[in-house]
Amino acid sequence: MGDGGCCPTMDLLRSEPMQLVQLIIPMESAHRSISYLGDLGLFQFKDLNVEKSPFQRTYASQIKRCGEMARKLRFFREQMTKAGFSPSTRSTMDTEINLDDLEVKLGELEAELAEMNANSEKLQRSHNELLEYKLVLQKAGEFFHSAQSSAADQQIEFEAHLFGEGSIDSPLLLEQEMSTDFSKQVKLGYVSGLVAREKSLAFERVLFRATRGNVFLKQATVEDPVKDPVSGDKINKNVFIVFYSGERAKNKILKICDAFGANRYPFTDDLGKQYQMITEVSGKLSELKTTIDVGLVHRGNLLQTIGYQFEQWNFLVKKEKSIYHTLNMLSIDVTKKCLVGEGWCPVFATNQIQNTLQRATLDSNSQVGAILQVLHTKESPPTYFRTNKVTSAFQEIVDAYGVAKYQEANPGVYTIVTFPFLFAVMFGDWGHGICLLLATLYFIIREKRLSSQKLGDIMEMTFGGRYIIMMMALFSIYTGLIYNEFFSMPFELFGRSAYDCRDPSCGDASTVGLIMVRDTYPFGVDPKWHGTRSELPFLNSLKMKMSILLGVAQMNLGIILSYFNAKFFASDINIWYQFVPQMIFLNSLFGYLSLLIIVKWCTGSQADLYHVMIYMFLSPTDDLGENQLFTGQKFLQIVLLLLALVAVPWMLFPKPFLLKKQHQERHRGQSYTPLHITDDFELESHNDAHGHEEFEFSEVFVHQLIHTIEFVLGAVSNTASYLRLWALSLAHSELSSVFYEKVLLLAWGFNNVVILIVGIVVFICATVGVLLVMETLSAFLHALRLHWVEFQSKFYEGDGYKFYPFSFTLITEDEE
Amino acid sequence: MGFLVTTLIYVVVGIIACLFTRICCNRGPSSNLFHLTLIITATVCCWMMWAIVYLAQMKPLIVPILSEEE
Repeated sequence: MGDGGCCPTMDLLRSEPMQLVQLIIPMESAHRSISYLGDLGLFQFKDLNVEKSPFQRTYASQIKRCGEMARKLRFFREQMTKAGFSPSTRSTMDTEINLDDLEVKLGELEAELAEMNANSEKLQRSHNELLEYKLVLQKAGEFFHSAQSSAADQQIEFEAHLFGEGSIDSPLLLEQEMSTDFSKQVKLGYVSGLVAREKSLAFERVLFRATRGNVFLKQATVEDPVKDPVSGDKINKNVFIVFYSGERAKNKILKICDAFGANRYPFTDDLGKQYQMITEVSGKLSELKTTIDVGLVHRGNLLQTIGYQFEQWNFLVKKEKSIYHTLNMLSIDVTKKCLVGEGWCPVFATNQIQNTLQRATLDSNSQVGAILQVLHTKESPPTYFRTNKVTSAFQEIVDAYGVAKYQEANPGVYTIVTFPFLFAVMFGDWGHGICLLLATLYFIIREKRLSSQKLGDIMEMTFGGRYIIMMMALFSIYTGLIYNEFFSMPFELFGRSAYDCRDPSCGDASTVGLIMVRDTYPFGVDPKWHGTRSELPFLNSLKMKMSILLGVAQMNLGIILSYFNAKFFASDINIWYQFVPQMIFLNSLFGYLSLLIIVKWCTGSQADLYHVMIYMFLSPTDDLGENQLFTGQKFLQIVLLLLALVAVPWMLFPKPFLLKKQHQERHRGQSYTPLHITDDFELESHNDAHGHEEFEFSEVFVHQLIHTIEFVLGAVSNTASYLRLWALSLAHSELSSVFYEKVLLLAWGFNNVVILIVGIVVFICATVGVLLVMETLSAFLHALRLHWVEFQSKFYEGDGYKFYPFSFTLITEDEE
Repeated sequence: MGFLVTTLIYVVVGIIACLFTRICCNRGPSSNLFHLTLIITATVCCWMMWAIVYLAQMKPLIVPILSEEE
């Protein structure tokens, strides 16, 4: 592995040098050591007990305990959110709590809370039942009352009828009839209760069918929804009362009531008793209410006290759990007195880790200190970039594609500038840029406050990328000035326009056009172009060519980075048989195209570049004629074409053969020197077995073939791909000019305040919604693609894995 | 202002920015190199953009033709 390097070190360009370290920690200070290492957060433990299941590991029982405590804490959190408390962030860090004490305390609190819940549930239930009972009493009382009064009316009517008409007729017979009626009259039974309103129809029907119509059901709706005692939900209900006759009917009705979940309540038709019951129930209700209220207050107090310390406890439990998880990754020494751990750490942290271990030894009064030992290995270390809050977001962009191989050049360095730049090429408008900048400055200024609170998904993402957005906004302001667009309006900020009318009358300005009277406009696009008929042809040609120039430049940068990689890993093969032919191939075709573009601009030639490029391949020996830009162009083209043709086999053939030769040499050398492998190198030789697989020539060759084809075809398609810069920038400027002209100017033209206000509102909505949000997203995605595919494919392997240290700060973030 | 003069301005601005970061946030050689790289990249990007647009307008093949006013 090349650790020599070629150039001075640069932050972020290469992963921090990492080393594999063995820790031997005495049993008694193990817990403290791991805890301190977690505070430091610069050590990634390797799992040495992969073959063991979670239950077979040493500290399985402790993890179970922590899990149980975490469950209790989750229960508390649930209860708190139900009660509307939030765990206070201002945690009272009063005393260091021991885990064992905490366990006891949590257990007590849980039992108390559970009991309270059970009690209050019971009370609530009886409260609800009483409420329902009261309703039944009231409603059924009304039935009886109205029935009685109507019956009394009937009676009176009947009697009046009797006295009025029947004086001559046979009163005896009637009397007889009445007496037989009374004797025949069966005592009617009744059941009263409440049934859910949506079930009431079905209830009625079933009752009717079951008793063959021998019931009388009366229902009254309860206006307000009633709390069901069983489920606790608020349901619309009806009070019912069923009259029946006979024991069998009663049984049926009771069963039906049960089936419909209708709660039955006893009821008397005696008015006096009714009043008595109502007062009794009301008294009980108010009594229960106070009891429940007192219980709730008590529970609230308990939850409040829990809330004060909740975060602290939660953190402690999580920390302990992670410590035991880490301890489980260590293997136990044969003597059972030490734990042996292996892991990765950055080289610069060696001293810090040693000090930490020493501190742990001292604090736990251990007799023996922990031992730190650097191991040599052929295994590839994890990749670790030390990023800050600005660079981390850019690094995320790169990591989303693939984590850098250990110590390969990190595209993140250039991404910090080129990503926002390419974004801005597509988003060039300094008005929009300023809007974006103001939005992101809001995030940056309130950074401290916003980072501590919980944001929505989209807000979180925007907040995380606030520095990317800031860079994007700054570059868009710059490119906007270059494009001379402020919400699609041009300004003459940098001097006067170069163009003017041919004559004072300006008669042919709209037929032949203006004429260049001054020097070129010094900065950006001349404002006179705006709104002219020739604006689009001019801007299209300019932006297309710009896309190609920027693309070729960025691809060249990518290939140059592959040179630095090869140099760093001391691989001459990659320099001579990959970097050089790639450079030649790309530049003899597209570098030449870029040169032609620049020459054409500088000379003002009318040559057709498409024609030149196409006939460079089809008939390189033909005369260029009027398309000639400079003398010797034909000769140069032939040379470049030959170079490009040579570069392809140059890329393809030598590398696999050289690799094979190299491998054979190394193999021969190895067979002579196996003697010095002793116990110390056991680990290394073990890993060697993984590293030195059989050299498969065909595999290497196919790989190289694919790589070559990819590069050659990619050179064409990637260059074409950069044209998206032109397309998106065109779309952006067209959209913004449409919004400006067709909405704002149109509304202005009506000379009406209302229309103007509507126009302004529509303009703002369209600008924010379409240009600032959607266009930002699409330009972001296209810039992302240009970096991931077109730029990084030139040098980036991206098959590493990330350094993931054991750290308590990471643990708490994970949870959220 | 010609092409070279403005280019020179870009160079000067770039150098000033380099010196500025060197003086204001001097955090060791590797960090300084990193800042230097960023500033050079940014300056080159900005200069390229400007230069492309300037060159494209130097010898115009087409001129602005005003659209007919209504």
